[in-house]
Amino acid sequence: MSFYLECKKMKRTGLVPAFFCGGLLAAAVPVLNMAFRSEMYLGLDAPPIQILMEANWQMMSMLNILLVTAGACLMYHTEYADNAIQRICTLPAKESRLFLGKSAFLFLMCAVILAVEAAGMAFCIFHWFGHFGGLWSVFKSFGYAFLLMLPAVFGSLWIASACRNLWVSLGISVVCIFTATLLPVKNFALSLFFFAMPFQILADTPPQAARRFMIAAVAELLVIAAGELIFLKLRRSFT
Amino acid sequence: MYMIETKNLTKSYADFTAVAGISLHIPKGAVYGFLGPNGAGKSTTMKMFLGLTAPTGGSFRIGGKQFPRDRMRILKETGSFIEAPAFYGNLTGEENLDIVRRILGLPKSAVSEALELVGLSAHRHRPARTYSLGMKQRLGLASALIGRPPILILDEPTNGLDPVGIHEIRTLIRSLPERFGCTVLVSSHLLSEIELMADRIGILNHGHLLFEGTLDELKFNAASQGFPTDNLEETFLALIESDNLQRGGAR
Repeated sequence: MSFYLECKKMKRTGLVPAFFCGGLLAAAVPVLNMAFRSEMYLGLDAPPIQILMEANWQMMSMLNILLVTAGACLMYHTEYADNAIQRICTLPAKESRLFLGKSAFLFLMCAVILAVEAAGMAFCIFHWFGHFGGLWSVFKSFGYAFLLMLPAVFGSLWIASACRNLWVSLGISVVCIFTATLLPVKNFALSLFFFAMPFQILADTPPQAARRFMIAAVAELLVIAAGELIFLKLRRSFT
Repeated sequence: MYMIETKNLTKSYADFTAVAGISLHIPKGAVYGFLGPNGAGKSTTMKMFLGLTAPTGGSFRIGGKQFPRDRMRILKETGSFIEAPAFYGNLTGEENLDIVRRILGLPKSAVSEALELVGLSAHRHRPARTYSLGMKQRLGLASALIGRPPILILDEPTNGLDPVGIHEIRTLIRSLPERFGCTVLVSSHLLSEIELMADRIGILNHGHLLFEGTLDELKFNAASQGFPTDNLEETFLALIESDNLQRGGAR
């Protein structure tokens, strides 16, 4: 129900086309990279998915996180702009369900953009590497990317729900994203920052570390969700 | 039986008390006018009834249900309009009401009925952000009235309406107890507005309840305290002025 309402609320905001176009743009990154300088990558001794991810994922994940952040800010902006959230809070609906409904919508949008990007990546593998058995590795890489992106979705929504002003939440999130880009991706502890996690690549991560990242992502989801619930309760007490 | 009953309801912030231990008694099927100057604590009281802000003291019951234990049940039976119309600007009037309808679990026909009630049917397919202030106000009222809730909490519902609109909404509010069996709590800072709608009134100033009763009782009380009673507006102003003086000239 909450998910359906959130989909309905996004009418005429341009959010869905923006996500789709953003996904296409990110998917174009490896295609263009290969189109203009394939000679840099074709001679490398590594699986095609690893070569392509290492060459393009930083840019692609940056676009993904920016899309998620903008989406989260816009979703809460529709609630705050004309005070619709106040009406929702006076209905028999929990504010936490609003958060979870928006999360579900953004999860779906993330799945859509990652699917478009995976298609771009698969095209590169087939077209330039002539590798027809790489689909499973693409699927695994993007499944991993999806899981590691979820804490960033929750985090962005948390920031957006806390700030009534769109520009404040967008500003905080962008600062977080740029901070995340400064963190070394090989450092496990620093990479646990939820905006830094989406920069991780499955192909160049040892299986043990990848497992730890996945567990950390699930733990972060639970912690952020619990934090949001506590925040909503406290906010009601102090307003 | 009282539909809304408060006991020493209080809301304090760090160094400021917005509502100071008020005890309201709103009978079932009445239109109760909640009067007070700006900043008297009317909206804060209404927000507490709706769980938008937590009381710091006292308690209240709505429809026999205790807050906060039965908050969800209270909200299911209460239509509200607080301070200003609240809506999704990117959605049409109809879509806005449909969201409320789905959350309340009402039939589809409830949307058309609510739009009809406030005279917004002709503009149902326009995005709400393109509405005039008066139309937004009507949309907010439709959102409160949808599903004919037994309790209505309306905070200055005629703000921004033209004289014809004010008359229409006033007539509508006045008719609600008879038509739908509603109990209405309506706030305003204008006595002239309230006296045309309300059966009972409560006057609030600086968070304190100065008076509760019928308009006749107000006149009687005012006369006994030496306040003017020819004009209710003057009675109200004299009551507020006197209370302000007692509180050390605070306005």
